[in-house]
Amino acid sequence: MTQQETSSVIAELADTLRDWLPEQRWFAGKDRPVHAVTAVRTVRLDGGDPQLVHAVVEVEQGEPKPDRYQLILGLRSDVPEHLGHAWVTALGDRVVYQAIHDPELTALLLDLLAEGAEVDGLSFGHEPGVDLDPTQRSRPIGAEQSNTSLVYGQSYILKLFRRLVPGTSADLELHRALAGVGCVHIAAPLGAIEGELDGEPVTLGMLTEFLPNTADGWAMATASVRDLLAEPGAYPDEVGGDFASEAHRLGHAVGTVHADLARALGSSEAGPGDLSTLATAMHARLDAAQQAVPELAHYEVALRAAFDEVRTVGGPVPMQRIHGDLHLGQVLRSVTGWVLIDFEGEPSAPLAERVAPASPLRDVGGMLRSFDYAAHHMLVGEVDPDQHATAALEWAGRNREAFCDGYAEVAGDPREQAVLLHAFELDKAVYEVVYEHAHRPGWLPIPLVAIARITGHGDTRHDR
Amino acid sequence: MSIYQRSESQRDLGAVPHTGEDVLPDGHLVEPQAGDFRHARAAPSDPEWFKRAVFYEVLVRAFRDDDGNGSGDLRGLTTRLDYLRWLGVDCLWLPPFYASPLRDGGYDISDFRAVLPEFGTVEDFVVLLDEAHRRGIRVITDLVMNHTSDQHPWFQESRRDPDGPYGDFYVWGDDDSAYPEARIIFVDAEVSNWTYDPVRGQFYWHRFFSHQPDLNFENPEVGEAMVDVLRFWLDLGIDGFRLDAVPYLFEQEGTNCENLPRTHEFLKRCRKVVDDEYPDRVLLAEANQWPADVVPYFGNSDVGGDECHMAFHFPLMPRIFMAVRRESRFPISEILAQTPRIPSGAQWGIFLRNHDELTLEMVTDDERDYMYAEYASDPRMKANLGIRRRLAPLLDNDRNQLELFTALLLSLPGSPMLYYGDEIGMGDNIWLGDRDSVRTPMQWTPDRNAGFSSCDPARIYLPVIMDPVYGYQSVNIEAQSNSTQSLLNWTRRMIHVRHEHPAFGLGTFAELGSSNPSVLAYLRRFETPGGDEPDVVVCVNNLSRFPQPVELDLSEHAGEVPVELTGRVRFPPVGELPYLLTLPGHGFYWFQITRDQEAP
Repeated sequence: MTQQETSSVIAELADTLRDWLPEQRWFAGKDRPVHAVTAVRTVRLDGGDPQLVHAVVEVEQGEPKPDRYQLILGLRSDVPEHLGHAWVTALGDRVVYQAIHDPELTALLLDLLAEGAEVDGLSFGHEPGVDLDPTQRSRPIGAEQSNTSLVYGQSYILKLFRRLVPGTSADLELHRALAGVGCVHIAAPLGAIEGELDGEPVTLGMLTEFLPNTADGWAMATASVRDLLAEPGAYPDEVGGDFASEAHRLGHAVGTVHADLARALGSSEAGPGDLSTLATAMHARLDAAQQAVPELAHYEVALRAAFDEVRTVGGPVPMQRIHGDLHLGQVLRSVTGWVLIDFEGEPSAPLAERVAPASPLRDVGGMLRSFDYAAHHMLVGEVDPDQHATAALEWAGRNREAFCDGYAEVAGDPREQAVLLHAFELDKAVYEVVYEHAHRPGWLPIPLVAIARITGHGDTRHDR
Repeated sequence: MSIYQRSESQRDLGAVPHTGEDVLPDGHLVEPQAGDFRHARAAPSDPEWFKRAVFYEVLVRAFRDDDGNGSGDLRGLTTRLDYLRWLGVDCLWLPPFYASPLRDGGYDISDFRAVLPEFGTVEDFVVLLDEAHRRGIRVITDLVMNHTSDQHPWFQESRRDPDGPYGDFYVWGDDDSAYPEARIIFVDAEVSNWTYDPVRGQFYWHRFFSHQPDLNFENPEVGEAMVDVLRFWLDLGIDGFRLDAVPYLFEQEGTNCENLPRTHEFLKRCRKVVDDEYPDRVLLAEANQWPADVVPYFGNSDVGGDECHMAFHFPLMPRIFMAVRRESRFPISEILAQTPRIPSGAQWGIFLRNHDELTLEMVTDDERDYMYAEYASDPRMKANLGIRRRLAPLLDNDRNQLELFTALLLSLPGSPMLYYGDEIGMGDNIWLGDRDSVRTPMQWTPDRNAGFSSCDPARIYLPVIMDPVYGYQSVNIEAQSNSTQSLLNWTRRMIHVRHEHPAFGLGTFAELGSSNPSVLAYLRRFETPGGDEPDVVVCVNNLSRFPQPVELDLSEHAGEVPVELTGRVRFPPVGELPYLLTLPGHGFYWFQITRDQEAP
């Protein structure tokens, strides 16, 4: 197939992709019909059989600004059995399939990164001083929400961004900045695949060190909660699975990352205008949330009061780059300590918002909410959730405190900015209410009860 | 003509050969020689036996009383070698059985060349050794090189005659000011490392108790004398020594007097004696330190190690307890990740229980903080640090946990050291105090004195365990050997499985991570020298009391078949996708990964 023919692949596949794309886990527009799929750019990375084709497609779903996605396709005349599940469609005498499942083709991506190659506007590069071993064999890792990752051997992980927005990804930018100041709580960045979109640079992929033998914070924390709930009447500090020392170390790690980010990219003090903007944004999110979830009305007065208080917060409020979407699923316990991953910020927010300086308390608030989730999610669906409600609350309280203690050892004590911290927690809880209402109605009580508790509505039990 | 005064413990030796039974004209004491005794037959030749061996720590006093005086002895131990062979033990580790005033559990040696009379004689030891070797079992014992009892004739001579041949055998000073940077190890018992001796009118140096003066290794004659002690027992046929308190042999002003280069030089010298004159014998370092600090005691890795063959891995034990309590693999994963590679000729010794507990004073600041953070908030774990308990009571006699812990001990990297009685889940008697609670008589039968001794029960050295759960009427070898489901028979089966797979003793170790933090999985691999199929064993341990799933990345072994090692059940072959296993609470699996499509 010539380069000419390559560029027509997407055109020939357009009808298939209209049905195929919405079936993909990472496809963001599942709620709307796909009208058309067109190629933005198609590059043949390897011309043999099998062939590796890199494509950026535009997906027309009736919006003024269509979403763009990255596709990595393979073409083969003969598809081996183990690639059967990656099959997309037949094209002439060849089969089009998802190349991420074919180690023969993904090896090429690592080759190009190791070489620092430029192929038709695609730029593959490794970080300064990094020497990549291109012989590592890849496998995709499952269960990712919005991207696709390949692990090479036990050495590297290549994250391929699926929905593309112009600009260098915050993930890559912050990894590079943190590596530059010697931060130990991240996976070291090793390379990147970059291109161009709308005349701006775009990050297509990021290669980092793979940390073998890790478990995520959610799995760690819920193992501890499970242990506690199996001991009726016990306090969290009495049971073997106590998580407080891990929570303390985690707080220390998050505080260190914040300090490192401030050191690498600077920090400033929020002015009254910034705080007012912040409060306005919180109110706006509540407005939208109330449209979707009328139950919120019960707490509206208290919520709006808490958001209004943000405008009057005294003392310096530092603003800096932050993680932006921090929760227990974004931290990994490795054999040397805690590591933060996925610095992309909140996926639904526009890039400009994600890279704007913010208060690090927003990350802290996200993590505190996550402890609350870990403690309470096992109560969902129980016949008598009250039976364990006290234990869950005690677990969350103990570990939230331990987290803040660890954080305060390296950065400011977040509890000293209680007004701001509560507002961030409530803002996050409002977001959770909307999410649970749409996706997991059974979990809705978790954020609702938290809102009641934080705003002092008293009834902290699960009343649904 | 002798003006030499025999100390009390020496007088007990009566007519048996002992140090100082005569004095040469130049003042040197006559010491028994190996040539005075029969020698044991040699154990079968095997230079790497210690890497594969299952060790068994047995207290002579506690195992079997042959002469009916209420205290175990060497002859009694000899009569139980068939049991130990049946169990699958490869090497016995005997804490010191030398002549001693017993003020420090026998680690205060008053004669390196005589046996404590209540245990028997050197001849009895040779019989034990000979009978053990006949059964393929080796024997090592503790040797304290750093110091002696103050009852040792060397010290008695040294204090009496500063100008005599032993005048410079110990570290003497006119005041107590030297080596101020050396810490006091037994802070509860001692206020200084120096003690005044009114006989000599000088101070003597001691890193441990004041009744244990340190030998002066600066004096070449001391080094020579200790090497001769090694030779004495090696000539009789002993298979090696656990060298007690090795970091402290030399002193040097301006240092903390630990791990000094000259100490390593001396250990190299001991090793050379072993290598040149006594092949297949081993030196095991007791250095209660962080793994990275212990590794130098293996010596130069370029030559496969030229100091000690083995060393204890101390921090692993409390980490195993912590991991199961936390239901998280990370306490174990972390410490193994921090353990440096060791020379090709070296091996760790690992244990769950012995008489050496981890003390927080012995570890690095970081680890102390870590352990403190984990333990201090947990009264139960804190108590376990200091108090000596047996394995079964520590685990609430939970059979599942006993099996999980034993499986970890038998499969983690290092040679496992079992503690006598733990194979039947013996209990302890905390009313006897720290020291003796785990030293009660071995429980052989439901008969009088648990079959340990025929003496009047009132005469026994410590009462046998009699409580309703762990008492000898129910927990004993006889009852458990008759039940196929007993802990004893289970332990024996696991030891035998271990023996069938060189990967456990000789193989590499690689942890297999998974997203489930409660599961600890690792792969042991031994490349068979003949280039045959390597021996690959995968061990999967559920540290949680709840059932757990785990997905393991075994893609490197795609197409191969895991065969469970205790029942030979073939599991589904490994594919390209993660290998899914489910484990019951505190469950574990050992698999051999075989390329053979047929049953192995």
